Amino acid sequence: MPSEFSLRSDSVDVEQIMEQIRGRIREKRGVDYTEDELRELAKVKLETFLDPTRVRSDLLEHYRSGHRSDLVELFSPAPVPGNFTFDDHLVFGSARGVTGRFIAGFRKLLNPILKLFINPNPIIQVLHLQGQINTHNADQFGRIAHFINDRERARADLDLLNYEVLHNLVLEMTRLGIEVKNLKMRVESLSSRLDFNERRARALEHVVQYQPGAGPVAETGRSTPPSTLPPDSGRGPTDQVNPAAKGEAQRSRRRRRRRGRGAAGGGPQGPTEANHQEQDGRSGPALLPLEPNGRASSEPASDPSDPGATDQ
Amino acid sequence: MNIAVVVQRYGLDINGGAELHARYIAEHVSRFAEVEVLTTCAHNYITWRNELPAGEARLNGLRVRRFPVKRERNPQQFGRRSVHVFEHWHSLADEHAWLESEGPASPALTKYIARHRDSYDYFIFFSFRYYHAYHGIRAVADRSLLVPTAEREGAIGLSMFGPVFRGVRALMYNSFEERAMIQAAAANHDVPHVVVGVGSEVPAHPEPERFRAKYGIRSPFVIYVGRIDENKGCKELFAHFEHYVRAVPGDLMLVLVGHSILPIPEHPRIRHVGFVDDQDKFDAMAAADALIVPSYFESLSMVALEAWALGKPVLANGRCDVLQGQCLRSNAGLYYEGGEQFLETLYQLQSNRHLARAMGENGRAFFQRHYTWPVVEQKYMDMLNRLHDDDASGRAAPPIEPLPGWFARRRATLPPANDVVKALPEGPVVGQERR
Repeated sequence: MPSEFSLRSDSVDVEQIMEQIRGRIREKRGVDYTEDELRELAKVKLETFLDPTRVRSDLLEHYRSGHRSDLVELFSPAPVPGNFTFDDHLVFGSARGVTGRFIAGFRKLLNPILKLFINPNPIIQVLHLQGQINTHNADQFGRIAHFINDRERARADLDLLNYEVLHNLVLEMTRLGIEVKNLKMRVESLSSRLDFNERRARALEHVVQYQPGAGPVAETGRSTPPSTLPPDSGRGPTDQVNPAAKGEAQRSRRRRRRRGRGAAGGGPQGPTEANHQEQDGRSGPALLPLEPNGRASSEPASDPSDPGATDQ
Repeated sequence: MNIAVVVQRYGLDINGGAELHARYIAEHVSRFAEVEVLTTCAHNYITWRNELPAGEARLNGLRVRRFPVKRERNPQQFGRRSVHVFEHWHSLADEHAWLESEGPASPALTKYIARHRDSYDYFIFFSFRYYHAYHGIRAVADRSLLVPTAEREGAIGLSMFGPVFRGVRALMYNSFEERAMIQAAAANHDVPHVVVGVGSEVPAHPEPERFRAKYGIRSPFVIYVGRIDENKGCKELFAHFEHYVRAVPGDLMLVLVGHSILPIPEHPRIRHVGFVDDQDKFDAMAAADALIVPSYFESLSMVALEAWALGKPVLANGRCDVLQGQCLRSNAGLYYEGGEQFLETLYQLQSNRHLARAMGENGRAFFQRHYTWPVVEQKYMDMLNRLHDDDASGRAAPPIEPLPGWFARRRATLPPANDVVKALPEGPVVGQERR
């Protein structure tokens, strides 16, 4: 729920109104971090905000450095050199046209003489087989490389997604960390105020119960027999006999108690502070009302009992 | 005095910001001088396809000469060249190639301007970033006035426009922010100039109840008027408004007026009424609590001026320097730079009637002071008369800087335009023309 402002219409100053609005947002957030500042915080100060979760502050940097785009094409196979098909032509043939044909014929003619020294046929068969094996392997390797590349690409896409999610999570965690910290502070502030209000209410009840004079208090006094008064109220039969003297004594006792409480470290929770707050019209963390030019006014922003007047 | 208004497109049904601006200026200046409009046959600003007949026509009493566009835009090529000149070191020739791709490339128009330069005393060019303005000004720089309609984007960082900004006789800026940006980019402080903007004709007695009855809208609402486009910040606006609705109890609605090229969220508190005529538009604005202008890039928001003329406060995107500057100078609008500020500022405008009313009154006064037609016409005529006097007294303007040689134009020594734009001063210009 946005905060309430009290602005007059006679002289509007947008610059100052905007400053007030920014101030209110800063107040609500604790600190008004921009997106860039949040990113900076997420990068540097994670351990400060996220200590319980033990998230490493350089997590994003590690993740980023671990994500190498050049891995994607790691398995791009080098072009396979052309394979040979072993046959008679390859062994005896020549590529020199007409001369080549003559050379091939001559080699074949001399083949029986060659066979006197070695038998080339098994060698040709083995090399032919090796050629087939090479083709098969190249085919298999190509398929595997293709498969791995596909997987790598999919993984790279997923990594990008993961990075984005992680990045957003870290930002969000930082934001939440800050918010939790602020909320803790507010809860502490509220609980201390509540504690003070309870004590104040008790004190007021006490005062009202024994207020001398007319009205319900007096009636209470009249309708309550002396024996029913609490034993620690310090009132005896004399008080009932002389109400004026009793009232004076009570007032001086209350003053003494109040002084004692203030001296005992009531601090900002003490009645004096409370009275100031009431005079300021601030029942909660609502803004001081603004003049149209943005200056704080001494008038109350609104009825302090109005919940709309706070930024809860 | 014979004046030619030169603009990329022209027509009664052409509602682009600069084109409408040009039409209004042409029609209003024609009360004091002979005005002709020189334009292209294009109707669509993305394709620049020749859709209107070439030759002469008359529109609202003005002679309009249309010239064909040589070729339609090739979006792939334009995109490629944009990336090159905006993001990489490049040459002047690359920038010229980019301008050719952007279009509307109409050499016939440029040729006509050069041949008939003596038929006109002055040429008022609109939109610095297009082909017609660059080549037209190069042809008749000594008789040119330029209405740059510049926004804070890459084109302003291109080097080829520097001589144009320095070479024209006068500049008619739309805002102080635009002036600061162009002067920082082109160092043209010496060129005569005036911040003028454009006027608007707003009905004296709009009928808000008529709009409410016609569209069955009973709750209070804020309004957006314009093309519903992500580039106009509408997506962000939807997100912010939904956040607002969740956070603030009440029945405030968001009413959208205009063509949509963006899916509009199905939300009971968001209502799209489509494109409406001017009467409905002004009635709707009069019925609204405030106008929202979520755009990041504006050289002048005419719709904001219209809202102010109707006494309505404006809630603008503070990341647009011009809008923020106008809000600050007029004291008639708040601005936001994120969801939380949107929530707070809109809440203030909606809940604090005194504030909204006071801002509306400030807006009305701001409009009356700077943007009524007599004021705008006077500024134009003052500038034209000043130039006329200068010419009569023989004070010749220095000629426009010539293009560098063939080899120099091809040397990749120019920085990426986006880097140039980043280095330009940012932020609203305050302290000038404030109330």
